[in-house]
Amino acid sequence: MNYFIQQVMNALGWGSVIALLGMGYTMTFGIIGLVNFAHGEVFMAGAFAAYFILTIYKLPFWLGVLVGLAGAIIIGLVIERMAFKPVRGAGMITLFITSLGASIIVRNLSVMLFNDKLKSFVFPDFLKGVYLLGDLLIFKKIVVIFLITVGICALLVYLVKKTKIGIAMRSISYDSQMAQSLGINTEKIIIITFIIASALAGVAGLLWGVLFGSVQASMGALAVVDAFIASVIGGIGNVFGAMVAGYILGIGGTLFIAFLPPELVGLRPLFVWIVFFILLILKPSGLFRANIK
Amino acid sequence: MKSAKKITLITKYLVGIGLLLFVLFLLEKFLSGFWLMLFLLFGINIILAISLNITNSWIGFFSIGHGGIMLAGAYAAAFFTLPPSFKEGILDLHLPSFILHTQLPFLPALLIGGIVGAAAGIVLVLPALRLRGLYFCAGTLGFNIIMATIAENLPDITNGAMGLRQFPAYTNIWWVWGIAILLIYIIGRLKKSYIGRAFIAIGKDQDLAEHMGINLLKYKAYAFGLSAFFTTIGGILWVHLVLNLYPTAFGLILVFDVVAMIVIGGMGSITGAVIGAAIITLFTEILAPIEEGFILFGFHVPPILGLTTVLLGALLIIVLIKRPEGIMGEREISPELLFEKIFRRRANLN
Repeated sequence: MNYFIQQVMNALGWGSVIALLGMGYTMTFGIIGLVNFAHGEVFMAGAFAAYFILTIYKLPFWLGVLVGLAGAIIIGLVIERMAFKPVRGAGMITLFITSLGASIIVRNLSVMLFNDKLKSFVFPDFLKGVYLLGDLLIFKKIVVIFLITVGICALLVYLVKKTKIGIAMRSISYDSQMAQSLGINTEKIIIITFIIASALAGVAGLLWGVLFGSVQASMGALAVVDAFIASVIGGIGNVFGAMVAGYILGIGGTLFIAFLPPELVGLRPLFVWIVFFILLILKPSGLFRANIK
Repeated sequence: MKSAKKITLITKYLVGIGLLLFVLFLLEKFLSGFWLMLFLLFGINIILAISLNITNSWIGFFSIGHGGIMLAGAYAAAFFTLPPSFKEGILDLHLPSFILHTQLPFLPALLIGGIVGAAAGIVLVLPALRLRGLYFCAGTLGFNIIMATIAENLPDITNGAMGLRQFPAYTNIWWVWGIAILLIYIIGRLKKSYIGRAFIAIGKDQDLAEHMGINLLKYKAYAFGLSAFFTTIGGILWVHLVLNLYPTAFGLILVFDVVAMIVIGGMGSITGAVIGAAIITLFTEILAPIEEGFILFGFHVPPILGLTTVLLGALLIIVLIKRPEGIMGEREISPELLFEKIFRRRANLN
């Protein structure tokens, strides 16, 4: 039993990263029907911007956070401007192919520039250390990561449900032409959505750096698939659902290999797909009601 | 009158086939090294692009899971073409003994691999029954990842991530271009037949097609089976050209290349697939030396790995923005049409 709880505690960190990415994913997916495969690259950009500030230039942590967010937002907006805006309205498959193209471009460029080795990510001492609870080890950083994720989710749910921007987002997701004719500046709202989603990816990148103590140029490739599945399982456009699904996938994936014989540990990537297929066959609309749409 | 027409048709075909064989014979005699490789890859890419076209454009289920299909078929074929000394002696694979002790020639291995691939393709029909559009696309991506993961985690059978080596170099111009030309012919005929039109009808509007009396399950299974069979044959030809096979050989990057071919050439057009294959093959193979680094006027240019993929992605996005229907759209250029145009023009001139 202790082993079980310990595994769940450790998996909360990875679950948080997936949850944050999934929340950003689900917002762009809900609002313009875009499966943004380049989201993983935005995530990587945030982590790398912070890595340069913290590890290479050894500047204070708050600056790293700011630059990480800024880096993610800039890359996110550049990708939106170059790859998505010109083909908006051309159908989901076209958008999907351009996002795949953008993702491959950014990933290969970053591998070219920074190579694909693990780079150590320096983070301040107040995030290090463990608490002991009976014979359970609780990492300080995982607690912080978990609290940040839940806090951000609460903020986002408030934003989508209660504020004017959130109402505008939801109206665009129902019918963007109608929203436009009712006087909503759809272009502005879409840009705002992308900024929020990219910032979430930036936060996820930073948390990944803190969690694993390292960053890598191809780190987006694995996480983006999990995040996509989290957004589908949670119900497209449902921020809270994406968070819950992110934790389900993160914890489930860890338990999946924790209770498997050691020679099958490599099968971990299968877990999310098993969940995906089972869910799509049983309940194609996702676990929770689609919220934005 | 009718028999005379038939005879001229037969002579036309015979002349055409003779001409093709002669050209292939000449090419086999004079091509070597880089150009031979380029020509072979071009042929393989034609096979891959045309077979991907069937599922992605005709019946409108955008699959990016053909990598998984190729992987299944290529491993199945590899078990039969690898020399027993390597399978049993060096790797000690845990296969049934009749596979371990035999080494088949290329044709039966191609057929076995193709059938295994077609079976894997028909497995992909299962999600195609429930999922549409993007969800299907994502599901096939999952298929790709699942197959690669399984191949990596069965070290007793597939030698894990180390992959298989010591393949006999079976692939040559005759195999590649023979199959490519046969495929172009078959698919060209198919497009005009009932089955081909049923595929395209499903792609245009699945529900309407069902109301018109087209059995969706049957034709989806046909389309995926056919597409998977020839895709796998393309994959097996590729394996016996580069002479190694590893679980990530047919990953997303390769599928992305083939998707780029059909998008750039024009979704739904056979001519477009050939043109797209030509463009992408030239593009990747000419950029490959730049990727590995070279010396230009005394300057040493360092290797830039991944450059091809980056430029390919950019090209794909530009094409999708500027000309979303691709070069050919859904049109075709057939030799008969070409001849007719030329002859009519002459007749008019006279």
